[in-house]
Amino acid sequence: MDEEGIIYLIFSLVIIVLSFAILTSLHGIYTIIGLVLVVIALVFIIAMNWADFLLMPALTSVLGMTFQPARNYTITKGQNAIIKNVNGLFYATGYITANLFAYTFKEETAAEEDEVRLAAAPEMWERAVMSLGFPYKFHVLSCGMDVQKVRDEIEGRRSFQEFQLSRALQSGSNEVTVTDLQRRVNIEQAKMDRISQGEKPIATLMYTETTAVGITEKAATDALDAQIKQLQIALSSLDLQLSRIVGRELYTLFRYNFSMPNSFADIASAFDQQM
Amino acid sequence: MNKLYVMIAFFLASALVLAAAAALPLPQYAKIVLLAVALVLDVAGFSSRYYLYMFRPLLRLKKHVVLSSEDAYWISSTADSILHKSGDDIVATVYVLIPLYRSSTEMSDSERLEFSRQVSRLIGVSRDPVRFTTEMYVMNKDAYIQTLRDTISATENEQADLTFKNAPAAELERVKGKLAMLHNMLDSISKGMSFEMVSYASISATGSKEYEAISAAQQKARELMSGIGSVFGVSPSLITGENILKFIEPEALIPFSTMTEQISKGLEEQVV
Repeated sequence: MDEEGIIYLIFSLVIIVLSFAILTSLHGIYTIIGLVLVVIALVFIIAMNWADFLLMPALTSVLGMTFQPARNYTITKGQNAIIKNVNGLFYATGYITANLFAYTFKEETAAEEDEVRLAAAPEMWERAVMSLGFPYKFHVLSCGMDVQKVRDEIEGRRSFQEFQLSRALQSGSNEVTVTDLQRRVNIEQAKMDRISQGEKPIATLMYTETTAVGITEKAATDALDAQIKQLQIALSSLDLQLSRIVGRELYTLFRYNFSMPNSFADIASAFDQQM
Repeated sequence: MNKLYVMIAFFLASALVLAAAAALPLPQYAKIVLLAVALVLDVAGFSSRYYLYMFRPLLRLKKHVVLSSEDAYWISSTADSILHKSGDDIVATVYVLIPLYRSSTEMSDSERLEFSRQVSRLIGVSRDPVRFTTEMYVMNKDAYIQTLRDTISATENEQADLTFKNAPAAELERVKGKLAMLHNMLDSISKGMSFEMVSYASISATGSKEYEAISAAQQKARELMSGIGSVFGVSPSLITGENILKFIEPEALIPFSTMTEQISKGLEEQVV
Protein backbone atom coordinates (compact mmCIF):
# COMPACT_ATOMS: atom_id res chain seq x y z
CA MET A 1 0.00 0.00 0.00
CA ASP A 2 1.32 3.47 -0.84
CA GLU A 3 1.52 6.47 1.52
CA GLU A 4 -1.73 8.01 0.27
CA GLY A 5 -3.56 4.75 0.91
CA ILE A 6 -2.19 4.62 4.44
CA ILE A 7 -3.43 8.18 5.11
CA TYR A 8 -6.94 7.26 3.94
CA LEU A 9 -6.94 4.10 6.03
CA ILE A 10 -5.71 5.84 9.20
CA PHE A 11 -8.31 8.62 8.94
CA SER A 12 -11.17 6.19 8.43
CA LEU A 13 -10.03 3.92 11.25
CA VAL A 14 -9.80 6.92 13.61
CA ILE A 15 -13.51 7.56 12.95
CA ILE A 16 -14.25 3.89 13.68
CA VAL A 17 -12.40 4.14 17.00
CA LEU A 18 -14.31 7.32 17.86
CA SER A 19 -17.53 5.47 17.05
CA PHE A 20 -16.74 2.92 19.74
CA ALA A 21 -16.67 5.81 22.24
CA ILE A 22 -20.28 6.65 21.27
CA LEU A 23 -21.29 3.06 21.98
CA THR A 24 -20.55 3.59 25.69
CA SER A 25 -23.33 6.18 25.88
CA LEU A 26 -25.89 3.72 24.49
CA HIS A 27 -27.87 1.13 26.43
CA GLY A 28 -29.50 -2.23 25.82
CA ILE A 29 -30.50 -3.13 22.27
CA TYR A 30 -29.14 0.21 20.99
CA THR A 31 -25.62 -0.83 22.00
CA ILE A 32 -25.94 -3.99 19.94
CA ILE A 33 -27.34 -2.10 16.92
CA GLY A 34 -24.53 0.46 17.22
CA LEU A 35 -21.92 -2.29 17.48
CA VAL A 36 -23.29 -4.05 14.40
CA LEU A 37 -23.18 -0.77 12.43
CA VAL A 38 -19.57 -0.10 13.47
CA VAL A 39 -18.49 -3.66 12.59
CA ILE A 40 -20.21 -3.43 9.17
CA ALA A 41 -18.41 -0.14 8.45
CA LEU A 42 -15.09 -1.61 9.59
CA VAL A 43 -15.49 -4.72 7.42
CA PHE A 44 -16.50 -2.58 4.43
CA ILE A 45 -13.45 -0.32 4.81
CA ILE A 46 -11.09 -3.28 5.13
CA ALA A 47 -12.70 -4.98 2.12
CA MET A 48 -12.47 -1.77 0.09
CA ASN A 49 -8.82 -1.45 0.99
CA TRP A 50 -7.76 -4.95 -0.06
CA ALA A 51 -10.43 -6.17 -2.45
CA ASP A 52 -12.22 -3.23 -4.02
CA PHE A 53 -11.69 -4.93 -7.40
CA LEU A 54 -14.18 -7.57 -6.25
CA LEU A 55 -16.58 -5.31 -4.37
CA MET A 56 -17.10 -2.53 -6.91
CA PRO A 57 -17.69 -4.71 -10.00
CA ALA A 58 -20.15 -6.75 -7.91
CA LEU A 59 -21.94 -3.54 -6.94
CA THR A 60 -22.08 -2.19 -10.51
CA SER A 61 -23.24 -5.61 -11.77
CA VAL A 62 -26.10 -5.66 -9.27
CA LEU A 63 -27.09 -2.07 -10.10
CA GLY A 64 -26.51 -2.57 -13.85
CA MET A 65 -24.22 0.46 -14.03
CA THR A 66 -22.07 0.99 -17.12
CA PHE A 67 -19.41 3.65 -17.66
CA GLN A 68 -18.33 5.75 -20.60
CA PRO A 69 -14.58 6.43 -20.23
CA ALA A 70 -14.43 8.28 -23.57
CA ARG A 71 -16.61 8.88 -26.61
CA ASN A 72 -17.71 5.59 -28.27
CA TYR A 73 -16.32 3.44 -25.45
CA THR A 74 -18.28 1.67 -22.69
CA ILE A 75 -17.08 -0.24 -19.66
CA THR A 76 -19.42 -3.17 -19.03
CA LYS A 77 -21.38 -3.45 -15.78
CA GLY A 78 -19.09 -6.28 -14.62
CA GLN A 79 -16.14 -3.90 -15.23
CA ASN A 80 -14.18 -6.65 -17.00
CA ALA A 81 -14.30 -5.38 -20.60
CA ILE A 82 -14.30 -2.18 -22.61
CA ILE A 83 -16.59 -2.10 -25.61
CA LYS A 84 -16.36 0.06 -28.68
CA ASN A 85 -19.21 0.28 -31.15
CA VAL A 86 -17.97 0.88 -34.68
CA ASN A 87 -20.71 1.05 -37.33
CA GLY A 88 -22.79 -1.60 -35.57
CA LEU A 89 -19.90 -3.95 -34.85
CA PHE A 90 -18.89 -4.33 -31.21
CA TYR A 91 -15.23 -4.63 -30.25
CA ALA A 92 -14.70 -5.91 -26.70
CA THR A 93 -11.27 -5.53 -25.11
CA GLY A 94 -10.13 -7.28 -21.96
CA TYR A 95 -6.89 -7.56 -20.00
CA ILE A 96 -5.13 -10.27 -18.02
CA THR A 97 -2.06 -10.03 -15.82
CA ALA A 98 1.02 -11.70 -17.23
CA ASN A 99 3.95 -10.91 -14.98
CA LEU A 100 6.73 -13.07 -16.37
CA PHE A 101 8.84 -12.52 -13.28
CA ALA A 102 9.47 -9.80 -10.76
CA TYR A 103 11.94 -7.79 -12.79
CA THR A 104 12.93 -5.39 -10.04
CA PHE A 105 15.61 -7.81 -9.01
CA LYS A 106 16.10 -11.48 -9.50
CA GLU A 107 16.16 -13.32 -6.24
CA GLU A 108 18.71 -15.75 -4.96
CA THR A 109 19.04 -18.14 -7.90
CA ALA A 110 21.98 -19.98 -9.32
CA ALA A 111 23.52 -18.31 -12.38
CA GLU A 112 23.55 -21.58 -14.36
CA GLU A 113 19.85 -22.15 -13.80
CA ASP A 114 19.24 -18.57 -14.95
CA GLU A 115 21.06 -19.21 -18.20
CA VAL A 116 19.09 -22.37 -18.97
CA ARG A 117 15.82 -20.55 -18.38
CA LEU A 118 16.88 -17.57 -20.45
CA ALA A 119 17.93 -19.77 -23.36
CA ALA A 120 14.63 -21.63 -23.29
CA ALA A 121 12.52 -18.47 -23.02
CA PRO A 122 12.27 -17.43 -26.72
CA GLU A 123 11.19 -20.90 -27.85
CA MET A 124 8.70 -21.27 -25.01
CA TRP A 125 7.23 -17.89 -25.86
CA GLU A 126 6.90 -18.68 -29.57
CA ARG A 127 5.36 -22.06 -28.86
CA ALA A 128 2.84 -20.48 -26.50
CA VAL A 129 1.67 -17.72 -28.83
CA MET A 130 1.84 -19.68 -32.09
CA SER A 131 -1.45 -21.43 -31.39
CA LEU A 132 -3.43 -18.24 -30.80
CA GLY A 133 -5.78 -17.39 -33.66
CA PHE A 134 -6.96 -13.98 -32.55
CA PRO A 135 -5.42 -10.55 -32.03
CA TYR A 136 -3.65 -9.80 -28.77
CA LYS A 137 -1.01 -7.50 -27.34
CA PHE A 138 1.62 -8.37 -24.76
CA HIS A 139 2.73 -5.26 -22.90
CA VAL A 140 5.76 -4.72 -20.69
CA LEU A 141 5.58 -1.41 -18.89
CA SER A 142 8.97 -0.62 -17.39
CA CYS A 143 10.17 2.24 -15.27
CA GLY A 144 13.59 3.00 -13.81
CA MET A 145 13.65 3.38 -10.06
CA ASP A 146 15.69 5.73 -7.91
CA VAL A 147 18.90 3.77 -7.24
CA GLN A 148 19.66 5.46 -3.92
CA LYS A 149 16.14 4.98 -2.63
CA VAL A 150 16.11 1.31 -3.55
CA ARG A 151 19.55 0.86 -2.01
CA ASP A 152 18.41 2.47 1.25
CA GLU A 153 15.33 0.26 1.35
CA ILE A 154 17.37 -2.89 0.80
CA GLU A 155 19.91 -1.85 3.43
CA GLY A 156 17.10 -1.21 5.90
CA ARG A 157 15.55 -4.61 5.25
CA ARG A 158 18.90 -6.38 5.44
CA SER A 159 19.79 -4.71 8.76
CA PHE A 160 16.42 -5.72 10.22
CA GLN A 161 16.85 -9.30 9.04
CA GLU A 162 20.40 -9.44 10.41
CA PHE A 163 19.06 -8.23 13.74
CA GLN A 164 16.38 -10.94 13.66
CA LEU A 165 19.02 -13.52 12.76
CA SER A 166 21.31 -12.54 15.64
CA ARG A 167 18.38 -12.73 18.06
CA ALA A 168 17.41 -16.14 16.70
CA LEU A 169 20.98 -17.38 17.13
CA GLN A 170 21.21 -16.02 20.68
CA SER A 171 17.88 -17.50 21.73
CA GLY A 172 18.80 -20.87 20.21
CA SER A 173 15.92 -20.99 17.71
CA ASN A 174 15.43 -24.09 15.59
CA GLU A 175 17.48 -24.69 12.47
CA VAL A 176 14.61 -24.06 10.04
CA THR A 177 14.09 -20.50 11.34
CA VAL A 178 17.79 -19.71 11.28
CA THR A 179 18.20 -21.10 7.73
CA ASP A 180 15.21 -19.12 6.52
CA LEU A 181 16.57 -15.90 8.01
CA GLN A 182 20.02 -16.56 6.56
CA ARG A 183 18.42 -17.09 3.13
CA ARG A 184 16.55 -13.77 3.41
CA VAL A 185 19.75 -11.95 4.35
CA ASN A 186 21.49 -13.57 1.36
CA ILE A 187 18.71 -12.44 -0.99
CA GLU A 188 19.05 -8.82 0.18
CA GLN A 189 22.83 -9.07 -0.11
CA ALA A 190 22.49 -10.43 -3.68
CA LYS A 191 20.33 -7.43 -4.55
CA MET A 192 22.88 -5.04 -3.03
CA ASP A 193 25.66 -6.72 -5.01
CA ARG A 194 23.73 -6.31 -8.25
CA ILE A 195 23.29 -2.59 -7.61
CA SER A 196 26.98 -2.28 -6.73
CA GLN A 197 27.84 -3.96 -10.05
CA GLY A 198 25.91 -1.22 -11.86
CA GLU A 199 22.62 -2.99 -12.52
CA LYS A 200 19.69 -0.59 -12.59
CA PRO A 201 16.64 -1.36 -10.49
CA ILE A 202 13.68 -1.53 -12.84
CA ALA A 203 10.03 -1.88 -11.94
CA THR A 204 7.91 -3.67 -14.51
CA LEU A 205 4.28 -4.36 -15.09
CA MET A 206 3.34 -7.00 -17.65
CA TYR A 207 -0.10 -7.63 -19.00
CA THR A 208 -1.88 -9.02 -22.03
CA GLU A 209 -4.68 -7.35 -23.92
CA THR A 210 -7.01 -9.01 -26.38
CA THR A 211 -9.90 -7.82 -28.52
CA ALA A 212 -12.89 -9.76 -29.78
CA VAL A 213 -15.58 -8.70 -32.19
CA GLY A 214 -19.29 -9.45 -32.40
CA ILE A 215 -22.48 -8.22 -33.99
CA THR A 216 -23.98 -7.60 -30.54
CA GLU A 217 -22.42 -6.52 -27.27
CA LYS A 218 -23.17 -9.94 -25.81
CA ALA A 219 -21.57 -11.75 -28.76
CA ALA A 220 -18.44 -9.61 -28.43
CA THR A 221 -18.09 -10.14 -24.66
CA ASP A 222 -18.73 -13.88 -25.03
CA ALA A 223 -16.04 -14.09 -27.71
CA LEU A 224 -13.73 -12.07 -25.45
CA ASP A 225 -14.32 -14.48 -22.54
CA ALA A 226 -13.40 -17.39 -24.82
CA GLN A 227 -10.26 -15.61 -26.06
CA ILE A 228 -9.15 -14.78 -22.53
CA LYS A 229 -9.54 -18.43 -21.53
CA GLN A 230 -7.47 -19.47 -24.55
CA LEU A 231 -4.79 -16.93 -23.64
CA GLN A 232 -4.70 -18.21 -20.08
CA ILE A 233 -4.26 -21.77 -21.31
CA ALA A 234 -1.65 -20.86 -23.93
CA LEU A 235 0.46 -18.75 -21.57
CA SER A 236 0.15 -21.07 -18.56
CA SER A 237 3.23 -22.97 -19.77
CA LEU A 238 5.28 -19.84 -19.03
CA ASP A 239 4.56 -20.13 -15.32
CA LEU A 240 2.68 -16.83 -15.02
CA GLN A 241 -0.06 -15.52 -12.82
CA LEU A 242 -2.85 -15.02 -15.36
CA SER A 243 -5.85 -13.41 -13.73
CA ARG A 244 -8.40 -11.25 -15.51
CA ILE A 245 -8.20 -7.58 -14.62
CA VAL A 246 -11.42 -5.96 -13.46
CA GLY A 247 -12.51 -2.66 -11.94
CA ARG A 248 -10.51 0.54 -11.76
CA GLU A 249 -7.29 -1.14 -12.90
CA LEU A 250 -9.00 -2.02 -16.19
CA TYR A 251 -9.87 1.66 -16.63
CA THR A 252 -6.27 2.67 -15.89
CA LEU A 253 -4.90 0.19 -18.45
CA PHE A 254 -7.38 1.54 -20.99
CA ARG A 255 -6.06 5.07 -20.37
CA TYR A 256 -2.47 3.85 -20.83
CA ASN A 257 -3.36 3.27 -24.50
CA PHE A 258 -3.53 7.06 -24.89
CA SER A 259 -1.23 8.41 -22.19
CA MET A 260 1.46 6.67 -20.23
CA PRO A 261 2.12 7.37 -16.54
CA ASN A 262 4.76 9.92 -15.60
CA SER A 263 6.50 8.10 -12.79
CA PHE A 264 6.83 4.87 -10.86
CA ALA A 265 4.67 6.35 -8.08
CA ASP A 266 1.77 6.73 -10.55
CA ILE A 267 2.07 3.10 -11.58
CA ALA A 268 2.41 1.84 -8.00
CA SER A 269 -0.65 3.72 -6.76
CA ALA A 270 -2.79 2.61 -9.71
CA PHE A 271 -1.91 -1.09 -9.43
CA ASP A 272 -1.81 -2.02 -5.79
CA GLN A 273 -4.03 -5.08 -5.93
CA GLN A 274 -4.32 -7.17 -9.07
CA MET A 275 -0.96 -6.71 -10.82
CA MET B 1 -11.23 19.46 -6.70
CA ASN B 2 -8.31 17.84 -4.95
CA LYS B 3 -9.19 14.35 -3.74
CA LEU B 4 -7.46 14.89 -0.42
CA TYR B 5 -9.67 17.90 0.39
CA VAL B 6 -12.75 15.82 -0.38
CA MET B 7 -11.52 13.07 1.90
CA ILE B 8 -10.78 15.54 4.72
CA ALA B 9 -14.22 17.12 4.26
CA PHE B 10 -15.92 13.74 4.58
CA PHE B 11 -13.92 12.75 7.66
CA LEU B 12 -14.48 16.15 9.32
CA ALA B 13 -18.21 15.90 8.67
CA SER B 14 -18.18 12.38 10.10
CA ALA B 15 -16.28 13.52 13.22
CA LEU B 16 -18.69 16.45 13.72
CA VAL B 17 -21.73 14.17 13.51
CA LEU B 18 -20.10 11.82 16.01
CA ALA B 19 -19.34 14.75 18.33
CA ALA B 20 -22.97 15.87 18.08
CA ALA B 21 -24.13 12.35 18.95
CA ALA B 22 -21.84 12.29 21.98
CA ALA B 23 -22.41 15.81 23.28
CA LEU B 24 -26.09 16.53 22.64
CA PRO B 25 -28.74 15.20 25.07
CA LEU B 26 -30.53 13.14 22.41
CA PRO B 27 -32.70 10.04 22.72
CA GLN B 28 -31.02 6.69 22.04
CA TYR B 29 -32.58 6.13 18.59
CA ALA B 30 -31.40 9.59 17.44
CA LYS B 31 -27.87 8.76 18.54
CA ILE B 32 -28.02 5.55 16.51
CA VAL B 33 -29.16 7.50 13.45
CA LEU B 34 -26.30 10.00 13.89
CA LEU B 35 -23.84 7.12 14.34
CA ALA B 36 -25.07 5.53 11.08
CA VAL B 37 -24.71 8.87 9.27
CA ALA B 38 -21.18 9.31 10.64
CA LEU B 39 -20.20 5.81 9.52
CA VAL B 40 -21.63 6.34 6.03
CA LEU B 41 -19.62 9.57 5.76
CA ASP B 42 -16.54 7.70 6.97
CA VAL B 43 -16.96 4.96 4.36
CA ALA B 44 -17.62 7.62 1.69
CA GLY B 45 -14.44 9.46 2.72
CA PHE B 46 -12.39 6.29 2.41
CA SER B 47 -13.96 5.30 -0.93
CA SER B 48 -13.50 8.81 -2.36
CA ARG B 49 -9.88 8.03 -3.20
CA TYR B 50 -10.81 5.99 -6.27
CA TYR B 51 -14.59 6.16 -6.56
CA LEU B 52 -15.55 9.80 -6.09
CA TYR B 53 -16.98 9.84 -9.64
CA MET B 54 -19.52 7.18 -8.65
CA PHE B 55 -21.11 9.01 -5.71
CA ARG B 56 -23.52 11.20 -7.67
CA PRO B 57 -24.69 8.47 -10.10
CA LEU B 58 -25.14 6.10 -7.16
CA LEU B 59 -27.31 8.62 -5.31
CA ARG B 60 -29.37 9.26 -8.45
CA LEU B 61 -29.37 5.54 -9.34
CA LYS B 62 -28.14 6.34 -12.84
CA LYS B 63 -27.45 3.33 -15.05
CA HIS B 64 -24.93 4.92 -17.39
CA VAL B 65 -22.11 7.01 -15.94
CA VAL B 66 -20.35 9.33 -18.38
CA LEU B 67 -16.78 9.80 -17.19
CA SER B 68 -15.85 11.64 -20.36
CA SER B 69 -17.78 12.45 -23.50
CA GLU B 70 -14.71 13.69 -25.36
CA ASP B 71 -12.60 11.73 -27.80
CA ALA B 72 -9.96 9.65 -26.03
CA TYR B 73 -7.19 11.28 -28.10
CA TRP B 74 -6.43 13.22 -31.23
CA ILE B 75 -3.50 12.98 -33.62
CA SER B 76 -1.05 15.88 -33.50
CA SER B 77 -0.62 18.19 -36.48
CA THR B 78 2.87 16.71 -36.93
CA ALA B 79 1.14 13.29 -37.30
CA ASP B 80 3.80 11.53 -35.24
CA SER B 81 2.12 11.48 -31.85
CA ILE B 82 -1.27 11.29 -30.25
CA LEU B 83 -2.49 13.86 -27.75
CA HIS B 84 -4.66 13.34 -24.72
CA LYS B 85 -6.03 15.96 -22.35
CA SER B 86 -5.31 15.26 -18.70
CA GLY B 87 -6.70 18.01 -16.47
CA ASP B 88 -5.10 21.26 -17.62
CA ASP B 89 -2.17 19.44 -19.21
CA ILE B 90 -1.67 17.81 -22.59
CA VAL B 91 -0.03 14.40 -22.76
CA ALA B 92 1.72 13.49 -26.00
CA THR B 93 2.46 9.84 -26.72
CA VAL B 94 4.92 8.72 -29.35
CA TYR B 95 5.13 5.23 -30.86
CA VAL B 96 8.44 3.73 -31.89
CA LEU B 97 8.58 0.74 -34.23
CA ILE B 98 11.12 -1.95 -33.26
CA PRO B 99 11.98 -3.77 -36.49
CA LEU B 100 12.71 -7.26 -35.12
CA TYR B 101 12.01 -10.14 -37.46
CA ARG B 102 13.75 -13.09 -35.82
CA SER B 103 12.37 -16.42 -34.80
CA SER B 104 13.76 -18.75 -32.14
CA THR B 105 13.49 -21.65 -34.59
CA GLU B 106 16.36 -20.22 -36.60
CA MET B 107 18.56 -19.46 -33.58
CA SER B 108 21.21 -21.60 -31.92
CA ASP B 109 21.17 -22.05 -28.12
CA SER B 110 23.76 -19.33 -27.63
CA GLU B 111 21.83 -16.96 -29.89
CA ARG B 112 18.64 -17.62 -27.90
CA LEU B 113 20.47 -16.84 -24.67
CA GLU B 114 21.88 -13.66 -26.19
CA PHE B 115 18.44 -12.67 -27.49
CA SER B 116 16.89 -13.10 -24.03
CA ARG B 117 19.65 -10.95 -22.57
CA GLN B 118 19.01 -8.32 -25.20
CA VAL B 119 15.32 -8.29 -24.27
CA SER B 120 16.31 -7.90 -20.60
CA ARG B 121 18.56 -4.98 -21.50
CA LEU B 122 15.81 -3.45 -23.64
CA ILE B 123 13.47 -3.29 -20.65
CA GLY B 124 15.99 -1.25 -18.68
CA VAL B 125 16.82 1.10 -21.52
CA SER B 126 14.96 4.13 -20.16
CA ARG B 127 14.45 5.72 -16.77
CA ASP B 128 11.05 7.09 -17.85
CA PRO B 129 8.03 4.80 -17.97
CA VAL B 130 8.08 3.04 -21.35
CA ARG B 131 5.70 0.43 -22.63
CA PHE B 132 7.10 -2.27 -24.90
CA THR B 133 4.47 -4.19 -26.82
CA THR B 134 4.31 -7.18 -29.07
CA GLU B 135 1.07 -7.09 -31.01
CA MET B 136 -0.56 -9.65 -33.23
CA TYR B 137 -3.31 -8.27 -35.43
CA VAL B 138 -5.46 -9.40 -38.32
CA MET B 139 -4.02 -8.50 -41.67
CA ASN B 140 -6.08 -5.84 -43.43
CA LYS B 141 -7.52 -7.39 -46.57
CA ASP B 142 -10.14 -4.68 -46.93
CA ALA B 143 -8.78 -3.16 -50.12
CA TYR B 144 -8.35 -6.55 -51.77
CA ILE B 145 -11.82 -7.74 -50.72
CA GLN B 146 -13.35 -4.48 -51.98
CA THR B 147 -11.60 -4.87 -55.36
CA LEU B 148 -12.90 -8.43 -55.63
CA ARG B 149 -16.44 -7.33 -54.77
CA ASP B 150 -16.28 -4.54 -57.37
CA THR B 151 -15.02 -6.98 -59.99
CA ILE B 152 -17.80 -9.46 -59.09
CA SER B 153 -20.52 -6.85 -59.47
CA ALA B 154 -19.02 -5.65 -62.78
CA THR B 155 -18.90 -9.25 -64.03
CA GLU B 156 -22.51 -9.84 -62.90
CA ASN B 157 -23.53 -6.75 -64.89
CA GLU B 158 -21.62 -8.08 -67.87
CA GLN B 159 -23.41 -11.45 -67.55
CA ALA B 160 -26.84 -9.76 -67.35
CA ASP B 161 -25.95 -7.62 -70.34
CA LEU B 162 -24.84 -10.64 -72.39
CA THR B 163 -27.98 -12.60 -71.46
CA PHE B 164 -30.13 -9.64 -72.47
CA LYS B 165 -28.36 -9.32 -75.82
CA ASN B 166 -28.62 -13.09 -76.50
CA ALA B 167 -24.84 -13.36 -76.73
CA PRO B 168 -23.24 -16.61 -77.97
CA ALA B 169 -23.24 -19.50 -75.46
CA ALA B 170 -19.45 -19.66 -75.41
CA GLU B 171 -19.24 -16.01 -74.36
CA LEU B 172 -21.86 -16.55 -71.64
CA GLU B 173 -19.98 -19.64 -70.43
CA ARG B 174 -16.77 -17.63 -70.17
CA VAL B 175 -18.40 -14.93 -68.04
CA LYS B 176 -20.07 -17.56 -65.82
CA GLY B 177 -16.71 -19.26 -65.33
CA LYS B 178 -15.08 -15.94 -64.47
CA LEU B 179 -17.84 -15.20 -61.96
CA ALA B 180 -17.46 -18.62 -60.31
CA MET B 181 -13.72 -18.11 -60.07
CA LEU B 182 -14.14 -14.66 -58.45
CA HIS B 183 -16.69 -16.02 -55.96
CA ASN B 184 -14.28 -18.83 -55.07
CA MET B 185 -11.50 -16.30 -54.55
CA LEU B 186 -13.72 -14.19 -52.27
CA ASP B 187 -14.74 -17.30 -50.34
CA SER B 188 -11.20 -18.48 -49.81
CA ILE B 189 -9.81 -15.08 -48.85
CA SER B 190 -12.51 -14.41 -46.27
CA LYS B 191 -12.52 -17.97 -44.94
CA GLY B 192 -9.56 -17.59 -42.61
CA MET B 193 -7.74 -14.71 -41.02
CA SER B 194 -4.11 -13.93 -41.72
CA PHE B 195 -2.07 -12.36 -38.95
CA GLU B 196 0.81 -9.94 -38.70
CA MET B 197 3.06 -9.39 -35.71
CA VAL B 198 4.79 -6.17 -34.79
CA SER B 199 6.80 -4.89 -31.83
CA TYR B 200 6.82 -1.29 -30.71
CA ALA B 201 7.48 0.97 -27.74
CA SER B 202 5.40 3.89 -26.55
CA ILE B 203 6.47 6.78 -24.35
CA SER B 204 4.63 9.88 -23.13
CA ALA B 205 5.49 13.40 -22.03
CA THR B 206 3.34 16.06 -20.44
CA GLY B 207 3.24 19.75 -21.25
CA SER B 208 0.97 22.71 -20.73
CA LYS B 209 0.86 23.33 -24.50
CA GLU B 210 0.58 20.92 -27.39
CA TYR B 211 3.96 21.76 -28.93
CA GLU B 212 5.63 21.55 -25.51
CA ALA B 213 4.28 18.04 -24.90
CA ILE B 214 5.09 16.89 -28.44
CA SER B 215 8.68 18.13 -28.40
CA ALA B 216 9.27 16.59 -24.94
CA ALA B 217 7.82 13.26 -26.11
CA GLN B 218 9.92 13.33 -29.27
CA GLN B 219 13.04 14.05 -27.22
CA LYS B 220 12.28 11.04 -25.01
CA ALA B 221 11.54 8.94 -28.11
CA ARG B 222 14.93 9.85 -29.65
CA GLU B 223 16.71 8.69 -26.49
CA LEU B 224 14.64 5.53 -26.49
CA MET B 225 15.37 4.87 -30.15
CA SER B 226 19.10 5.17 -29.62
CA GLY B 227 18.83 2.77 -26.66
CA ILE B 228 16.84 0.23 -28.67
CA GLY B 229 19.23 0.60 -31.60
CA SER B 230 22.26 -0.06 -29.42
CA VAL B 231 20.68 -3.13 -27.79
CA PHE B 232 19.44 -4.90 -30.92
CA GLY B 233 21.53 -3.27 -33.64
CA VAL B 234 18.42 -2.25 -35.57
CA SER B 235 17.09 1.13 -36.71
CA PRO B 236 13.86 1.93 -34.85
CA SER B 237 11.59 4.51 -36.44
CA LEU B 238 8.79 6.80 -35.33
CA ILE B 239 5.36 5.61 -36.38
CA THR B 240 3.42 8.35 -38.12
CA GLY B 241 0.03 9.11 -39.59
CA GLU B 242 -2.71 6.54 -39.75
CA ASN B 243 -0.28 3.74 -38.88
CA ILE B 244 -0.49 4.89 -35.25
CA LEU B 245 -4.16 3.82 -35.18
CA LYS B 246 -3.05 0.21 -35.55
CA PHE B 247 -1.69 0.40 -32.00
CA ILE B 248 -4.61 2.23 -30.44
CA GLU B 249 -7.94 1.47 -32.05
CA PRO B 250 -9.52 -1.97 -31.54
CA GLU B 251 -11.06 -1.87 -35.02
CA ALA B 252 -7.56 -1.56 -36.48
CA LEU B 253 -6.69 -4.90 -34.87
CA ILE B 254 -9.56 -6.56 -36.71
CA PRO B 255 -10.37 -4.69 -39.94
CA PHE B 256 -14.03 -3.91 -40.47
CA SER B 257 -14.77 -5.46 -43.88
CA THR B 258 -12.68 -8.56 -43.19
CA MET B 259 -14.78 -9.07 -40.09
CA THR B 260 -18.17 -8.33 -41.69
CA GLU B 261 -17.30 -10.76 -44.49
CA GLN B 262 -16.51 -13.44 -41.89
CA ILE B 263 -19.63 -12.73 -39.85
CA SER B 264 -21.95 -12.84 -42.89
CA LYS B 265 -20.26 -16.06 -44.01
CA GLY B 266 -20.77 -17.52 -40.52
CA LEU B 267 -24.44 -16.50 -40.57
CA GLU B 268 -24.91 -18.01 -44.05
CA GLU B 269 -23.39 -21.28 -42.85
CA GLN B 270 -25.67 -21.28 -39.79
CA VAL B 271 -28.75 -20.71 -41.99
CA VAL B 272 -27.72 -23.44 -44.42
